[in-house]
Amino acid sequence: MTDLLNIKNLEISFHSNNKNLKTVENFSINLNEKESLGIVGESGSGKTLSMLALTRLLPKQASVSSGSIIFQNRNLNELDNKNFYKEISGKKISMIFQEPMTALNPVHTIGKQLLATYLYHNNVSVEKGIERALEILDAVKLPKYKQRMDQYPHQLSGGQRQRVMIALALINNPSLLIADEPTTALDVTVQKEIIQLISDLRDTIGMALIFISHDLGVVSQISDNVVVMKNGEIIEKGKTLKVLEKPNHPYTQGLLDCLFKLEDEQKKDQISDTPIIKVKEISKSYKLPAKIFKKPEIIYAVKKVSFDVKFGETIAIVGESGSGKSTVAKIINGLINKDGGKVEIKGQNIEDIEISDRAKIIQPVFQDPYSTLNPIHTIGYIVSRPLTINENKSESEVKEEVIKTLRLVGLSKEYYNRFPNQLSGGQRQRVAIARAIILKPQILICDEPTSALDVTIQSQILDLLNDLKSKLNITIILISHDISVVKYFSDRIIVMYNGEIIEMGNTNNVINIPKDKYTKRLMSSVFSIKKNDIKLT
Amino acid sequence: MLRFIAGRLIVVLSVGLTLSIVTFFLLNYVIDPAQAIAGEDALFEEIEQIREQYGFDRSITVRYFEWFSGIFQGDLGISYYWNKPVISLLIDRAPETITLALMSVSVTILISIPLGILAALNPNSLIDRIALGIAVTAQAVPNFWLGLIMILIFALAIPIFPVSGDKTFFHFVLPSIVLGASSVPAVMRLMRTGLLDVINADFIRTARSSGFYGWRLVFNHALRNALLPVVSVLAVQLGNKFGGSVITESVFAINGLGRLALESILGADIPTVQILVFVFAIIFLFFNLLADILNAYLDPRLRL
Repeated sequence: MTDLLNIKNLEISFHSNNKNLKTVENFSINLNEKESLGIVGESGSGKTLSMLALTRLLPKQASVSSGSIIFQNRNLNELDNKNFYKEISGKKISMIFQEPMTALNPVHTIGKQLLATYLYHNNVSVEKGIERALEILDAVKLPKYKQRMDQYPHQLSGGQRQRVMIALALINNPSLLIADEPTTALDVTVQKEIIQLISDLRDTIGMALIFISHDLGVVSQISDNVVVMKNGEIIEKGKTLKVLEKPNHPYTQGLLDCLFKLEDEQKKDQISDTPIIKVKEISKSYKLPAKIFKKPEIIYAVKKVSFDVKFGETIAIVGESGSGKSTVAKIINGLINKDGGKVEIKGQNIEDIEISDRAKIIQPVFQDPYSTLNPIHTIGYIVSRPLTINENKSESEVKEEVIKTLRLVGLSKEYYNRFPNQLSGGQRQRVAIARAIILKPQILICDEPTSALDVTIQSQILDLLNDLKSKLNITIILISHDISVVKYFSDRIIVMYNGEIIEMGNTNNVINIPKDKYTKRLMSSVFSIKKNDIKLT
Repeated sequence: MLRFIAGRLIVVLSVGLTLSIVTFFLLNYVIDPAQAIAGEDALFEEIEQIREQYGFDRSITVRYFEWFSGIFQGDLGISYYWNKPVISLLIDRAPETITLALMSVSVTILISIPLGILAALNPNSLIDRIALGIAVTAQAVPNFWLGLIMILIFALAIPIFPVSGDKTFFHFVLPSIVLGASSVPAVMRLMRTGLLDVINADFIRTARSSGFYGWRLVFNHALRNALLPVVSVLAVQLGNKFGGSVITESVFAINGLGRLALESILGADIPTVQILVFVFAIIFLFFNLLADILNAYLDPRLRL
């Protein structure tokens, strides 16, 4: 095997206000032809940035300050932009990105976009271009690919768009494909298909692959070698299996522990038999805007969903985006009105409970801690609001209570006067949890509480929730698409699909012996590394 | 696409119908048409005689239907003031206004689109600042004042263009600049923000990763997306130019529809005024419809 890419001591800095900030340092990798390399790291570790430097897509404020990039025995630093774009970008090195929903131009047809990229790099006739476009659409297994040429991106699903993106990247038969979290924005069932596709195409085309991901499980499936990055530096590299079996760096060990911990069985608390929440046949539908001379179409987000939640239980609602899981949570929370059915909390109809009383019983924790905290208020103020609105307490009492609650979620009282933008994602989520538990509610509804967070932070937040659950005796409804989180965390699982419950049961039963066809697909799409799977080859 | 156009057409027609009713009833209630024809010093008997002669003694609803059905037969009524069929007045005056409107929108496009693109490609640069300066100034300056200044500079101090009239192409240059300048700020700013948004969009990163760069990247991959909002605003502006021509045509003594409107209002010439109001409104609606159709053509997501 010969060297395809050799990056030595790459350094990337950001400039702002005449200051240079090194964000990536000493980045050196070596990639043989047809080899695949995984780059793992949390957000901000510099994994994407170093690859953007390779493809000259760095944001304006950033630049490569030193280091050499040798690609196919050519020093890329010596190429000017014009020649780089003409000879390398999209031709020798292609890239696919995380967000397939926005990565394609909405105003041009699929065919036109494919054709433009092909004809730009190849001096051939339009007929030849169309032929090639069809060939590559077939290769990425886009269903009904012949009709797709004249379609627009918005007429395709997320998974289909990602296939088109891959087709666009591969249409010129590149020697290297860089995939930057290509499956993160997709539903789990689609994720596995896309990973499989990339892996297959790599074999047929014979190209090298760099796969960027925060998910060690995904990377281990697809890459020969792996590089682990933290704070802009490579802290570990080697054969994937070796790294997984015997990580040298404590951080890598930590990453693995998080994964393994989710595999471990959890001791489940005692659950009483009396239900705290009874959901009976709730429905929610939306009317599509009426068209002239046509009846308005009705779409059901939730259709006759019924279940009970018992005192002290953790129940998980899983499903893909659009399955109605968040809508159910919002209905129970009273955030949106239902069309029909009944929600009883402790035997009382939810509509009959005063809003201020409801706030003391049931509280939400949302997905994105970056947007759920008002940036103009201090942490102390944010956490104190539920208390000042709903209870009549003196200022000092409120402050005392807030500090106590902050300590409960693992934040010292120094955070009281800080603002959200001074906190990390994990700390923000802790604040959001503090705000939710300050009224000592009996039910927490957590809507994807960890999916916006990095893996190591994820497990900390889950531990925190578990801890609070036993300390405060809380019932938790967890909404998630992440089966490993659900498995680690919940007593029972409800699987939703197209607004309906298709399976419900004990966590172990549903995960190990799923009955429904869709549940089976969902469970088999989870990437996990089991401790005993790792063997040196 | 056909269904989309048909839907919009129905909306336009119903708005047009409502408008015809409102203009007719308003004008005929506010002004006594018989009095208007007879003049201010007319005697009561004279007015009554005219009322009978012209049929103003009939109910207003009957007169409305007569007027409205007349429109479809090409009979727009007869101007009391000019003593001519209104239709021939329109045909006489329309070319001047159409020329002025088209030329002034061209001026808008020629200034604002390139300036907006340059500003977007070099955000916060000197070009961007200058473009912003032009936009703010053009926004603040009133039409009639700019017109007078233009006459002072380019017709009197440096006599390049004629002061007033509508005989030649050159007569239209100054008024077009004046009328066109007022739309520059809105269109330029929209072009700038639109293109700036698009340039930072994910699909432009995709295009760049495919090897596109420079002007080809801007023109083939970004411009169409950024033009979407600009097109609809331009169409509305073009509609505005017809209505906005009233002041500019008066300042530059152009015998177009705008000036006709002003003269008819001063002469209390109800048949002409009501047709002009109706025509301006229909033109406005038409360009809005055109904008919708153009947008649907440019953006496939709007074709429902």
